Amino acid sequence: MSQRQLKINGEDKTVDVPDNMPLLWVLRDVLGMTGTKYGCGIAQCGACTVHLDGRAIRSCQMPVSAVGSRAITTIEGIGKTPTGARIQKAWLDEEVVQCGYCQSGQIMSASALLATTPKPDDADINAAMAGNICRCGTYVRIRAAIKRAAEGEQPT
Amino acid sequence: MGMTQRGRVLRVLLIVVAVLLVAGTAFAIYLRGPGPTDFAGGQKVALAEYKDTNPTSIPASKKSADPIQRGKYLAEAADCLVCHTTPDGQQYAGGFAFTLPFGTIYSTNITPDKETGIGNYTDQDFLAAVHRGVRKDGAWMYPAMPFTSYTYMTDEDALAIKAYLFSLTPVRAPARANTLTFPFNQRWAIGLWSAVFNPNKRFQPDSSKSAEWNRGAYLSEALAHCGECHTPRNIGFALNNRKKFGGGNAGGWLAYNISADKGSGIGNWSDDDVAAYIGHGHANNHGSASGPMGEAVSESLSRLEPEDLRAIVAYVRSVPATSSDLPAQLAPPAPRSHREGFAANARGKQVFEGACMSCHNWDGVADISPYATLTGSRAVNDPSGINVAQIVITGSASWSENGSLNMPAFGQTYSNEEIAEVANYVTARFGTQGSSLTERDVASLRRQSAQ
Repeated sequence: MSQRQLKINGEDKTVDVPDNMPLLWVLRDVLGMTGTKYGCGIAQCGACTVHLDGRAIRSCQMPVSAVGSRAITTIEGIGKTPTGARIQKAWLDEEVVQCGYCQSGQIMSASALLATTPKPDDADINAAMAGNICRCGTYVRIRAAIKRAAEGEQPT
Repeated sequence: MGMTQRGRVLRVLLIVVAVLLVAGTAFAIYLRGPGPTDFAGGQKVALAEYKDTNPTSIPASKKSADPIQRGKYLAEAADCLVCHTTPDGQQYAGGFAFTLPFGTIYSTNITPDKETGIGNYTDQDFLAAVHRGVRKDGAWMYPAMPFTSYTYMTDEDALAIKAYLFSLTPVRAPARANTLTFPFNQRWAIGLWSAVFNPNKRFQPDSSKSAEWNRGAYLSEALAHCGECHTPRNIGFALNNRKKFGGGNAGGWLAYNISADKGSGIGNWSDDDVAAYIGHGHANNHGSASGPMGEAVSESLSRLEPEDLRAIVAYVRSVPATSSDLPAQLAPPAPRSHREGFAANARGKQVFEGACMSCHNWDGVADISPYATLTGSRAVNDPSGINVAQIVITGSASWSENGSLNMPAFGQTYSNEEIAEVANYVTARFGTQGSSLTERDVASLRRQSAQ
């Protein structure tokens, strides 16, 4: 156990947890931020995706001690980023969500993609999103929503 | 035929036999080659005559431990557990498979069960097994049991290990029958093999070297038996110490060159890197230990006292360079975008982007932990792709001090073709030269590492 500072969605949080606790557990069980989902626990489904300095990572496989000073963004905070806001709007416009369980992770991966690749083509979308699994099979709408967000106007 | 003629034939025959004997002996001596610590070149002295700190037994910081705890420390240093336990089995109950080209050998039960284990072994029986490779019933053991290394162990240390094993709960577990083909199923032949290849002598310190070096030599040779995997074998399947630590293999995995060679060995590593790798299974920018080395770290090396780890490092680093045919230059990180860098092999890329990219990233530098970084690891910079394929099949558990990380095993979820292609893609994208594994190669790798 050791006290550590985490920067989550722009806020400083202090947690007292074992070094090897996965970041996902810290978010959900310690901080009560349950928007990030637990899926497989072995980085094979993408439901637990959050950002670390803007890069998409699987929080179920990340020991909290490895975070360091990097800024964490979760589904609770992604709407405050420009790309995140565009992705969320496109998600609503395309009515992407079915059951919704995987969608926090889908939105996190999609907004990380858009931040580095403003106009992704199908190969770019595959390269960024293939590790995010959706049991409802919303892949077609996910792809359409990413393209809509890429082409859409910046929200004001 | 007259007497003189018969005498002449006999004489010629005798000369031929004598020449063959001399040639055979010379060849055997040549094959046997130098001993494991002969590279140091200093004068060897008997342990009793060595003036500095005794290099054997347990470290000074453990001197107050009771006899069974001492034996436990030594048994862990000798890594008895991994080979004498199956993945799902009871500890030390045997049954671990060594899959060889000519059949499979199974390890045996070394719990103190009187019928199926070693419960009836006397001290002398135990020493004969550890030092000479001879069972209580007089039969020879196959050198999958590294008795040519353990032979350097002192009687006292071997018997401490026995005391520890005898403190365990007896497990009833009969030995599984080996499946070796002729002539490898002829155990008596191991007697001849041993006559040539087992020195059957105890550790002798090198008086020209420091106490730390000698401690490292004892730990590495008599206990940890590093060379059994990392030293190549000669045509007699014995260790070829002319190329000591130049790289060998272990259960379908490659045990890479750990000699001082700067390119293909670990000559460019720092001492701290080597200590971190063997002590925690990872050194930044050098990758993480997986497969048999991962097990050696978790069950043996990580349990050693810091001074013993340092001694092993001091010793291993003194082994002269032996170059092997691995690429000397390691590849830098791949580009961050999937569009740049190696792009051929659509099948391998497809598997990578679905199953691997979320941790390893397109550049090979992991965000979640340096343990998952591919850049700089020998496995991805090995054009055979063998260890990459094995890690994909079996997964990898890491023994980090600040948290465990596990790569899942993909052997059950991907076909041999998919595993071959993803290994080929990974070695091409993150290494110096891509591998060209086929479906059949992966099938063979699976067989070799299967339990």
